[in-house]
Amino acid sequence: MRLRRLETIRRKLLRKKRQKTLKEVYQERFIESLKELRIPLLLIHASMSFGTLGYMFLSGGNFIDSLYMTVITIGTIGFGEIAKGTDTPIGRIFTTFLAVAGIGMFTTAITVVVRIFLVGDIIKMLRVIRMLSDIEKLKDHVIICGYNRISAWLVDALRKRKIDFVIIDSKEESLKYVQLHNIKYFIAEEPYKKTTLLSAGIMKARYLVANMEDEAKNIAVIVTARLLRPDKEGLFIYSNAPTEGTAQKFEELGANKVIVSDKLIANRIFSYMIHETSGYVSDLFDRIAYGEEADLEIVELYVSDKSQLVGKRLKEIDLRRLYNVTVIGIRKPDGSLDLTVSGETQIEAGDVLLLLGKPSSIKKAMGFYREVLI
Amino acid sequence: MRLKKIMTDFFLLMALTTNISFIFGPNPYELVITVITNLTATILKLGEGKILATEMTAASLVADLHLVPAAFLYFLGDTSEAVSLAIGALAANIISILLSIIEAVFSYLAEE
Repeated sequence: MRLRRLETIRRKLLRKKRQKTLKEVYQERFIESLKELRIPLLLIHASMSFGTLGYMFLSGGNFIDSLYMTVITIGTIGFGEIAKGTDTPIGRIFTTFLAVAGIGMFTTAITVVVRIFLVGDIIKMLRVIRMLSDIEKLKDHVIICGYNRISAWLVDALRKRKIDFVIIDSKEESLKYVQLHNIKYFIAEEPYKKTTLLSAGIMKARYLVANMEDEAKNIAVIVTARLLRPDKEGLFIYSNAPTEGTAQKFEELGANKVIVSDKLIANRIFSYMIHETSGYVSDLFDRIAYGEEADLEIVELYVSDKSQLVGKRLKEIDLRRLYNVTVIGIRKPDGSLDLTVSGETQIEAGDVLLLLGKPSSIKKAMGFYREVLI
Repeated sequence: MRLKKIMTDFFLLMALTTNISFIFGPNPYELVITVITNLTATILKLGEGKILATEMTAASLVADLHLVPAAFLYFLGDTSEAVSLAIGALAANIISILLSIIEAVFSYLAEE
């Protein structure tokens, strides 16, 4: 009976352990690194104990004076022979011996301890553990996998909007730039690992950007992220690809939107050609969408079949007068864009209204729409 | 047989036994030796990553935090308070020993 119980315990011990989080891994590494302190601390402890016990025997058991005498001796302070019995020949022989052996041990050990803390990884690891704890508290944040020029621009935009983000990259070169750009949350691990993504808070994140230099790595990141968060409306995954075919593949694997950068650049150049005077029009929508046009914002308002807006004319809802918001166009359910809207235009179920206005006005209008009209 | 395990267990047991003897017959040398052995056991356990190692380090630190003030109080004349602190340290030391035995059994079972 007892043997069977022992066998059960043994099996439990050998059972495959659950996957550790990155924080747990770093905590274990931190505890392991404390091992380096053992020898110097033992040296300090041995010299202090030897000195204190020796002086205690000399002074007839006076602990405080003995400890003090030991510290001033091995700490090279040398205030004098304070403890009882230390001014005797035996006391002086003991002090000489303690000073010769103890001073070297004590100073070496102190130097090693300070060096471990200042040069070693202990402080660095503590910082990483604290940062990982902070990341655990993030919600609706952005995870950026791979730190390169695109990520740096993205970080700039996110900072302007005060959106929290976590960078994941394992390259040495990227680490250098991360420090240079003063990135708050950074995980120096491979981003396609489940543990890394979980530690970056993928379960609570809103967006993930797969921006690795390597196509295969991007695929690995997208697939791993989508396995952890299958809901495409819960976590939005964005990436970039060199060709349309690859972009399509990425989207089939789970990305919400994949940008073909070469095509984007070509289209932009073309749009400048069309608006050759200043390119103001070409940039206008971008500036609004990127939040660079501080006084203007453009949002999409989806009209569901249950909405009270269905069947109404634009002049009836009168968004311009009530909220200073203009409906500049309507995207129809078939994907076509109607930019010839007027007060007489009737709203249909499935329409997406494009609203343009000041951010504060848009916020008010959207609030009214959500609370009253849906 | 692991030398490190013998060393750690030796200091743990030494701390426990001198702790008990100090409680039954308060003596300055015994108290100082208890403090020294207990601190040595704690240092030896630093960075240990095995089963129950965190609990053992914590128990050992608790014993240290009882014994160091006990030493100062004893030599400042408050023997009764020093003894009661040493009793607190004894509880932590007993837990340390028990954890050490459990760890030994666990590692034996895992290795088998």
